[in-house]
Amino acid sequence: MMRINLVLLLAVVASALYLVGVQYESRRVFTELDKARADARRLETEFGRLQVAKREQATSARVEQLAREKLQMRQVTPAITSYVTYSAPMQASPAAAPAQKGAQ
Amino acid sequence: MTRRGIQYTSSPLLASRTPVWRSKFVVGVIALGFTGLVARAAYIQVYANDFFQKQGEVRFARSIDLPANRGRILDRNGLILGSSVPAPSIWAIPEDVELEKGQLAQLAKLLDMPAAELSKKLQDEDKSFVWVKRQVDADIAKKIADLNIKGIYQRKEYKRQYPEGEAAAHIVGFTNVEDNGQEGVELMFNKELLGRPGMRHVIKDRLGRAVEDVGEIVQPVPGRDLQLSIDSKVQFFAYQKLRDAVVSNKAKAGSVVVLDAITGEVLALANYPSYTPDKRQNLTGAQLRNRALTDTFEPGSVMKPFTVGLALETGRVKPSTIIDTAPGSVTITGATIHDSHPHGALTVEQVIQVSSNVGTTKIAMQMPASEMWQTFSQAGFGQKPQIEFPGVVSGRLRPYKSWRPIEQATISYGYGMSASLFQMVRSYTVFSHGGQIIPATLLKSSTPAVGVPVFSEQTAAKIRRMLQMAAGPGGTGPKAQTIGYSVGGKSGTAYKQVGKGYGTDGNRKYRSWFVGMAPIDQPRIIVGVMLDEPSAGKYFGGDVAAPVFSDTVQQTLRMLGVQPDMAVRPQVVAETVEESF
Repeated sequence: MMRINLVLLLAVVASALYLVGVQYESRRVFTELDKARADARRLETEFGRLQVAKREQATSARVEQLAREKLQMRQVTPAITSYVTYSAPMQASPAAAPAQKGAQ
Repeated sequence: MTRRGIQYTSSPLLASRTPVWRSKFVVGVIALGFTGLVARAAYIQVYANDFFQKQGEVRFARSIDLPANRGRILDRNGLILGSSVPAPSIWAIPEDVELEKGQLAQLAKLLDMPAAELSKKLQDEDKSFVWVKRQVDADIAKKIADLNIKGIYQRKEYKRQYPEGEAAAHIVGFTNVEDNGQEGVELMFNKELLGRPGMRHVIKDRLGRAVEDVGEIVQPVPGRDLQLSIDSKVQFFAYQKLRDAVVSNKAKAGSVVVLDAITGEVLALANYPSYTPDKRQNLTGAQLRNRALTDTFEPGSVMKPFTVGLALETGRVKPSTIIDTAPGSVTITGATIHDSHPHGALTVEQVIQVSSNVGTTKIAMQMPASEMWQTFSQAGFGQKPQIEFPGVVSGRLRPYKSWRPIEQATISYGYGMSASLFQMVRSYTVFSHGGQIIPATLLKSSTPAVGVPVFSEQTAAKIRRMLQMAAGPGGTGPKAQTIGYSVGGKSGTAYKQVGKGYGTDGNRKYRSWFVGMAPIDQPRIIVGVMLDEPSAGKYFGGDVAAPVFSDTVQQTLRMLGVQPDMAVRPQVVAETVEESF
């Protein structure tokens, strides 16, 4: 009788210690998970911020200004655009190119 | 007895008999002690359990708010028009602030405010809380955090960023510091954009780390992303052209609306003067107002196609019917209506082409007022446009029973009633969409709109032909022509009311309109332009507003990938016929 009690006592102590260990481990892991989640949120916000920043660098207003002032570009008009349609016969001769100006 | 000989065990004190009450007393005291403990335990565990539970929780349990991000506003191609970015607010507890040498100057420089103002804020020792600056940029906030000043703290906040700036300001609107919409789409769709914040309960350890979730987590519901029908490129170009026109014509203001003629989507809606949504310190009402939707005026000649359309529809006239407009004026119940130039005999087509008031009046007087009122109402005049936007106005179209004959005449060419530019543009869908008026929307939609018939398809086609003539050589708006695309449209030059009348010569104020569509045979877009009080010499709609129309149409159709429907030839420069008011 006494022996069984002793074994049970040992078992209880061991299981209690194990429980403490597991609880500690679980809290540690949870903290890590929580931190990772916070990081994910932070990165997501950062991603959103950078997307906006990227968009700001590429707005029509800025592109237009840079193209005009820095690259000396001008707007296309249909007068200097060749429209190629699928059914149109191919004309390979480069000499004919100026004649192709305009809509077809 | 020697010292060594002492026998402690035989101490007479020990030998004396202990009285029994003493041991009983000790046992009693100990028993009482235990009883006390049991009672206390019972008190804590049973009687006052709730209180202690709560006190315990206060010490380790925390509720954490899970903020919901405000949804983004996107254009039709998914480009960002408005989005929330982190912008921490800096606050301080003035009595705790300890600044090292030079830190004040550093901080002031980072915050972009004078050092004197900053130190005044931080010296107010009576307060235990003071905002130093709200919503600073994320990287500046980081630099401030790196300064590591005691007593200065940051609060996580978000602010809206609008990459398109002033070009799209009137459409998108803005939010206040509390992230609530104040204007435009931000206000109208505030609920959808807001989302719902969540909440979680956790146990925190000594170091403030969450170690365990308690109970249920309420997940945050992020705000819905909103995709508008606006095309940011079209929007930008429309705004740019409008701004240039307003500035070069010394006008007070202007608006432009671009509508997809097939789906009813608003591709662009811009006003000038505008504002930068991020910098709203010195905002005036004139900048803030979305004129295209909230301001109504007498449209003038832009209304004529509806009068003529009704006459065609009811079979009273044909496009080739001759109307005699000589001698350039007509008198109705004592009041005389003039054309700016006498034209003589005109066909109905030419009445629209040269914009004759007399011709339109003569056509209108053949029809009962009730029919005109009905057609105009069906075309959306005097009705609030069904569009999701704050402050939309209905304009004014009085009930026909109160029309006097002279009023019926003036209404036929756009005086004595009022409409906003947006209403005008939408009403022109009647001509572009086979005689049907279609609902306009600010949200992206891919299905063709279902319209309500006003005119028959044939009438719409006839009017389109007249609009093309009006925008061609010999018309009032040849400057509306584009390279490669056939256009049709009607210019309007309306006197503005000055006091009780329309001003006297030399003191008149004008409002110039142009509303039209392109390509004319199968309209893809409808563009409306309005300039308020152009005062640099030119004021005819065909001179002032039509070039904006032309540029906008040219750019928009090219960006939509519409193939030119005309042979390309050098820009047409034709003589403008001065129209009537």
